[in-house]
Amino acid sequence: MLDRLSFVIGEAMTALRRNGFMTFAAISTVAVSLFLLGGLGYGYLRVVEYANSIPGKFDMRVYLRQGVDPNTISQTAATIRGFPGVASVAWIPKEKAWAKEKKDDPANTVGIENPYPDGFKITIKTLKDGDPVAEKIRRLAVIDPEPGVIYLKDEQHLIDEGLQVMRWLGTFIASLLFVTAGVLIFNAIKLTITYRRREIRIMQLVGASRFMVQVPFLIEGTVQGILGGIISAIMLGGAQQVFQKFLMDLDARVHLSAFPGAEALVILGGVGGIYGLFCSWLAITLPNRAQ
Amino acid sequence: MSGESSPYIEFKDVQVEYPGHVTGLRDVSLQIDKGDFVFFVGKTGAGKSTLIKLITREVTHTKGIVTLAGRDLGRLRERDIPPLRREMGIVPQDFALLPRKKVWENVAYAMRAVGHSRTEVRRKVPAILDSVNIGHRADAFPHQLSGGEQQRVAIARALINNPPLLIADEPTGNLDPERSWEIMELLKSLNLNGTTVLVASHDMMVIHRMARRIVTLENGQIVHDSAHEEATPSA
Repeated sequence: MLDRLSFVIGEAMTALRRNGFMTFAAISTVAVSLFLLGGLGYGYLRVVEYANSIPGKFDMRVYLRQGVDPNTISQTAATIRGFPGVASVAWIPKEKAWAKEKKDDPANTVGIENPYPDGFKITIKTLKDGDPVAEKIRRLAVIDPEPGVIYLKDEQHLIDEGLQVMRWLGTFIASLLFVTAGVLIFNAIKLTITYRRREIRIMQLVGASRFMVQVPFLIEGTVQGILGGIISAIMLGGAQQVFQKFLMDLDARVHLSAFPGAEALVILGGVGGIYGLFCSWLAITLPNRAQ
Repeated sequence: MSGESSPYIEFKDVQVEYPGHVTGLRDVSLQIDKGDFVFFVGKTGAGKSTLIKLITREVTHTKGIVTLAGRDLGRLRERDIPPLRREMGIVPQDFALLPRKKVWENVAYAMRAVGHSRTEVRRKVPAILDSVNIGHRADAFPHQLSGGEQQRVAIARALINNPPLLIADEPTGNLDPERSWEIMELLKSLNLNGTTVLVASHDMMVIHRMARRIVTLENGQIVHDSAHEEATPSA
């Protein structure tokens, strides 16, 4: 068995060397498409992570009707805490709110009676939780109809829509490149089959098994895919470093978490390998129209 | 032929039709015994190569039955074809040598392709090359060889599985008369050692000199079989 394996691996390596340009084209396209696909996926997760860290600044302010008693305030706080997507609820007594306002703007608060009702400061868990949480809170009887619930709805929507565009556009471009990479692997294998027509004929004449004839092509496609995947993982790691340096130069207070290099190598190499195997299998299975 | 035991190769009312209603063979019936040496002769397109390709299962017949050692070749599954081919040596018309490999590498490549180990290859290749008198050119590349020598390499490669059947398609097609005769002598010696030899050829001078069974084909039909000619007077 080892002898057979060494023969098919040797045949595949010979084909990879001999078919240099197509091999390079296939590997580089797999690398670029997986770089974009992986990069967009990774970037998307990072943006989501960042956006999810923002809700501290996207606090919700909830105002109660005038004259709500402390018991009802506690019950309402407990009710809101039970809503899905709510991270925390803090009661802000009207006296405390007015004291802060007087401190911040003493000129305009002199001689005015406290207009604030009791309220809550609510922190939501994720960006998407803003609308449903606000809707549920508004339905509670003790909530003042105007202003009721105040939060940065438009900003949340903007980030969410941005992520959605990134998701669709990225998927589209990367898919297009992924298909192109597949076509290139397919063509590289077809080219190898044409180059090695004589060897294949000899193998068939002497009774070589299908394993010995076809496996070198499958290995060739798989190697192209794996190499493309590994290169894309290295490119991603490099891109993260460049981006991190760019953020540092900007003095932005955003810190990217460490790039998961080993995971990226395994996942992208694996995806590339499986894809290369599939494309080369297609190439040896589908007959040439010209044949 | 004994008439009692079943023939080694048998064609029964075989018909081959290629796409576009092109007839390759029509109502061909033929029996070949183990150890026979048979020439298939005829003009280009007469059906010689089709007949040979039916045995190697490069072509499948449309009607009739083709058997080899009692096996119906029409019923073979795709996966049974490589083992079938390992039971025969095939010498193609164009030699099909690998130009970038030396003589010994050409034979070694074929051996490795059918699963022989490196050790076996190292041990067997010199003996196989010597058996067809080409051992002295083992390190030459095909382009450095004469047509006759290239043919010997192709025959050597066909012998890697030590086959009981050797099939050669126009083995003297590109050779001068002297080299043609050398190749025929080589095939004759293999036949004398028990190998059944089938040769498609139109080199009538060499064929008559060999004085072996001749099956003549014309337009896909057998029009003459020297075996019947010999059998008729004694019948």
